[in-house]
Amino acid sequence: MDLIVIALILAGLYMAWNIGANDLANAMGTSVGTGALSLKQVIIIAALFEFLGAVFFGGRVTSTIAKGIVPIDKIGSVHPDIVAFGMLAAILAAGFWVTLATFYNLPVSTSHSIVGSVLGFGLIAAYNGTISYSDVHWGELTKIIASWFISPALGAVVAYITFSIIRNLFLRRASNLPSVEKKFISLQLITACYMAFAHGSNDVANAVGPIAAALNIMGAMGSEISVWVLVMGGLGMVIGMATWGYKVVETIGSKITELTPTRGFSAEFATASVVLLHSYSSLPISTTHTLVGSVIGVGLAGGIAAVDLGVIWRIISSWIATVPIAALTSAIIFVGLEVIFL
Amino acid sequence: MKDYIRSVFDVVSESPFVPLEAHARKGVLAVEKLTEAMEAYCTGNQALLEERTEEIDILEHDADKIKQKIRASIPSSVRLPVNKKDLLSFLKQQDSIADFAQASAYWMTLRPSKGLPDEIKEGFLELMATSLKTARTYEQLVGELYKLLATSFSKEEIKKTLQIVPEVEKLEHDVDVLETALLKKIFEHESDIGGAGVCHLMGLVERVGGIADKSASAADRLRSMILRR
Repeated sequence: MDLIVIALILAGLYMAWNIGANDLANAMGTSVGTGALSLKQVIIIAALFEFLGAVFFGGRVTSTIAKGIVPIDKIGSVHPDIVAFGMLAAILAAGFWVTLATFYNLPVSTSHSIVGSVLGFGLIAAYNGTISYSDVHWGELTKIIASWFISPALGAVVAYITFSIIRNLFLRRASNLPSVEKKFISLQLITACYMAFAHGSNDVANAVGPIAAALNIMGAMGSEISVWVLVMGGLGMVIGMATWGYKVVETIGSKITELTPTRGFSAEFATASVVLLHSYSSLPISTTHTLVGSVIGVGLAGGIAAVDLGVIWRIISSWIATVPIAALTSAIIFVGLEVIFL
Repeated sequence: MKDYIRSVFDVVSESPFVPLEAHARKGVLAVEKLTEAMEAYCTGNQALLEERTEEIDILEHDADKIKQKIRASIPSSVRLPVNKKDLLSFLKQQDSIADFAQASAYWMTLRPSKGLPDEIKEGFLELMATSLKTARTYEQLVGELYKLLATSFSKEEIKKTLQIVPEVEKLEHDVDVLETALLKKIFEHESDIGGAGVCHLMGLVERVGGIADKSASAADRLRSMILRR
């Protein structure tokens, strides 16, 4: 019983580390790329606001991952250990897939991975007869998957509008263009905080959602998500940022020097707003995919010299691959754990 | 561990407008070298002419490489704020500037200027200077592109940029006038120069004048690219 909690926490921390190291770094990359913030400033802002977002606004999406997809109460009433091992399998499967994807630089989302792997556990529970297939919250799942299409599109629309307003109000009337861009550097300080907060509020769930589910069923935590669970997820992501994410930010920042502060501001503002809206609606979405949508929106509004839409296909194929792969891996790990421990 | 990076920022691809400016610079540098080559030709300094010709050759080759790089950087998945076909057609004209500089330099090495009347040498130097001026004004126009992009094509910047186009066209017209006058002089001296000489000089007039022609048509296409966005 205690061992499984420790295993869950370790797996959750590994997932959180990954999110901090790569996803948070992607979210913060634009701030460094435009030259608005130094690497050190970005890391401090990211750490602080990611943590705040996770702790104060991360509960909703965490609840969705924990019990929005699979009816854990029903499975837990058969035996609480099934939920504990199932959630361990889910988090290991997602962590494994994200690690693999990162080595091969595939634009895989941690949110999609965890949703897929939790679903995989639910399906194997149904296969085992613990629950029936119709017990899986298909309606909620459909809403989640629809939000994966809507969020990048919404990011593109919001970014398009934001940049168009900036262009018409400031850029096209500017007598002194560099001074306009300079003003947006200070605004980017605000959007960087906003971005980190939004990211923390949505992505902490990918690391701690399964832990929350297990703790809840084992009676170690009520149906409200305990703050210490979110604190742990937040810390894990901050550690990921501090130990590896800074390198990713640096690499990204040096690659996208063509984004100016007005463009970076537009993309960040749009992304953070869309992500926060989804956190409020309890929907786990991909921040990085939303950011891609936003950058494309700025590009289509004429803000970027060259936008490569090829990445859209890479993202869509990663969606198609992620859910089945994560679900299957999670099911296999669960069966393994079941054979050994149950 | 070095490659443990998962990023989505390939969505921002390299701007073709930066190498476009570098490409224009190579062309104008080639024309500047050609001006020196022309002086060497007129003073009969064959060694210097050969040297400049080689330098122009390298510049033309560099320009070609940049052109290939620009073409390769805009596959169908890449979106630009301008029409891609317009950009390529203007790049092609811009590329011809270096080509004409190279062709002119080669042409001069074929036959020495010995025995040419001073009047004709002066005509060539003047034609060369005006062609160079046309190319330089054109480069100034290309230099405005980054401002257009930075303001995301503000009307004012477009107006300022497009004001340069008629200047290039005016200079190109001046070159046409100089070409006609020079050809006339060449035929006036046809008995001194000889048939082969006349033929050679006509070719040279055409090539040096071509630099201004190409600058003007590149400017014209640049204008279309900006307006047809």
